[in-house]
Amino acid sequence: MILNPSNLKATPPINRRLFGGFAGAGALILAVGLIIDPSSAWANLLIVGFGLVTTGLAGLTFVAIHYLTGARWTVVIRRVPEAMSVALIPGSFLILITVLFAPDLYSWMDGLGDHAAKFKSWWLSKPFFSVRTVIYIAVWMTFGFAIVRASRKQDLDGETSLTNRLTRLSAGFIVSFGLTFVLATFDWLMSLEPHWFSTIYGVYHFAGLFESGLAIIILVIVWLQTRGPLRKLVNEEHLHDLGKLLFAFSTFWMYIWFSQYMLIWYSNIPEEAVYYTRRLEGAWAPLVIANIALNWAIPFLVLLPALTKRTGHVLAKVAGVVLLGRALDLYLTVMPAKTASPSFGFWEIGTMLLLVGGVALCIDYGLRGAAVLPIRDPFLEDSLNHQQ
Amino acid sequence: MTDRRTIGVFASENDIMNAIRVVRARGYDIEDVYTPYAIHGLERALGMKRSRLPWITLILGLTGAGLKVWFEYWTTAVNWPVNVGGKPWDSLPAFVPVTFEVMVLLAGVSTVLVFLGVAQLYPGRKPKRFYPGVTDDRFVLVLNETDASFDLEETRELLSSLNAVDVDERIGEEGR
Repeated sequence: MILNPSNLKATPPINRRLFGGFAGAGALILAVGLIIDPSSAWANLLIVGFGLVTTGLAGLTFVAIHYLTGARWTVVIRRVPEAMSVALIPGSFLILITVLFAPDLYSWMDGLGDHAAKFKSWWLSKPFFSVRTVIYIAVWMTFGFAIVRASRKQDLDGETSLTNRLTRLSAGFIVSFGLTFVLATFDWLMSLEPHWFSTIYGVYHFAGLFESGLAIIILVIVWLQTRGPLRKLVNEEHLHDLGKLLFAFSTFWMYIWFSQYMLIWYSNIPEEAVYYTRRLEGAWAPLVIANIALNWAIPFLVLLPALTKRTGHVLAKVAGVVLLGRALDLYLTVMPAKTASPSFGFWEIGTMLLLVGGVALCIDYGLRGAAVLPIRDPFLEDSLNHQQ
Repeated sequence: MTDRRTIGVFASENDIMNAIRVVRARGYDIEDVYTPYAIHGLERALGMKRSRLPWITLILGLTGAGLKVWFEYWTTAVNWPVNVGGKPWDSLPAFVPVTFEVMVLLAGVSTVLVFLGVAQLYPGRKPKRFYPGVTDDRFVLVLNETDASFDLEETRELLSSLNAVDVDERIGEEGR
């Protein structure tokens, strides 16, 4: 049998010193930024915090969907999304200090002006806003810890009842995640431009969350398959299915992007259209085009044939393109609200370094916490023999 | 190709998958395999080439999208220009949803129709019934008796040793 226990305990070959250096350098740059240019640095910290939180949430969502659909092929790769959920911890920490302590990130904290509706003034008040942020994070953390702990417990005793328990936990997570995540995007990101609104905004950010989450899963899985303990355990069929998911959610992202754009373009109401007029003028416009190319056009065209989805190194490159697109997407979400024209300087480099290093270290930490695949999961055998 | 075929009937998925591997290695010409349900990995075991059907889908999808963009442009900007909210007549974003739907419609429906045609699943076609049990619980391997060197007895012994529950010879296109 290929399931050699010593093989499974082998440490995943992630260069911790390299990624630790990335994260440290990024944190240092942003810390300096907080002193020299606080406005830009806080906005960049929001991007890092949101990027880390959504990485964690993408992992938990993947695991929850795995249990709720009764999927079996995902068992062998499940430890990777579980490990991603670790990113919730540093991400939540960054989000908390950013949204609660950044002095001028949210203009509504100094009052919304005369034209705002009563409900909006009540909703966007600092105490209620803070309480909501804490609730979202508490809900996700609770489910995250419970799901990961139950899954790891099954490694020890092989109890099949734990699979049922995890299915119930997943149902609870998916429902509460749907509600809290939509509100969280409204609070943390949409309220950067407090007079603008879009009801599809939460769905748009869910699309970005899941697309980038799949890209991270693919990168780590290809890495573990070519260089690490999952060699011979993950096969082309698993890659093909992950590739199909990335293809689908890339297109879903574009679909939602266009849905939001088209309705605003069609009705052409100034208070709605301002979001796009700001992003389609000057040097922002090419970035919007690049965003669409990285998140949709390139993955769509490359992943259209079956062969590219079955080839690990091609799939990994597409995943890298998607993750670059994710960073740009978050940049285009946050920055136009803060500065008149785009800039790529020290603080943005710090953001990229901290994001890449942070995500890598979290996954590394998560993977070291348990066997690299759920060795006693009742469906492991099915997953290893997965065929389409 | 002659009109004579040898069929091997198997009772399980594993038996027929194993038999396919062995007879292919021996150089037999497998005409087709009939199973009561779809077996994953069968097409790879038979060494079938990838279907060209996706190309049909791609071409028809692009045709549908192209025709629809042209039609919408022609109706709203050329033949009967309509002013909607002061927007330009050839406002492309407004065309996107319908273009998308027509692309999916044409690609989807015609892919199914082309598939039915290629797989000869249309009314009036005489079905090949080599073994009635295939609609229930039997797996049937159909071998072409390619030339004079084909030895029926040897083949019968080989298939029996591979756990075939029945080996028989069929003559004629309809497998009677």
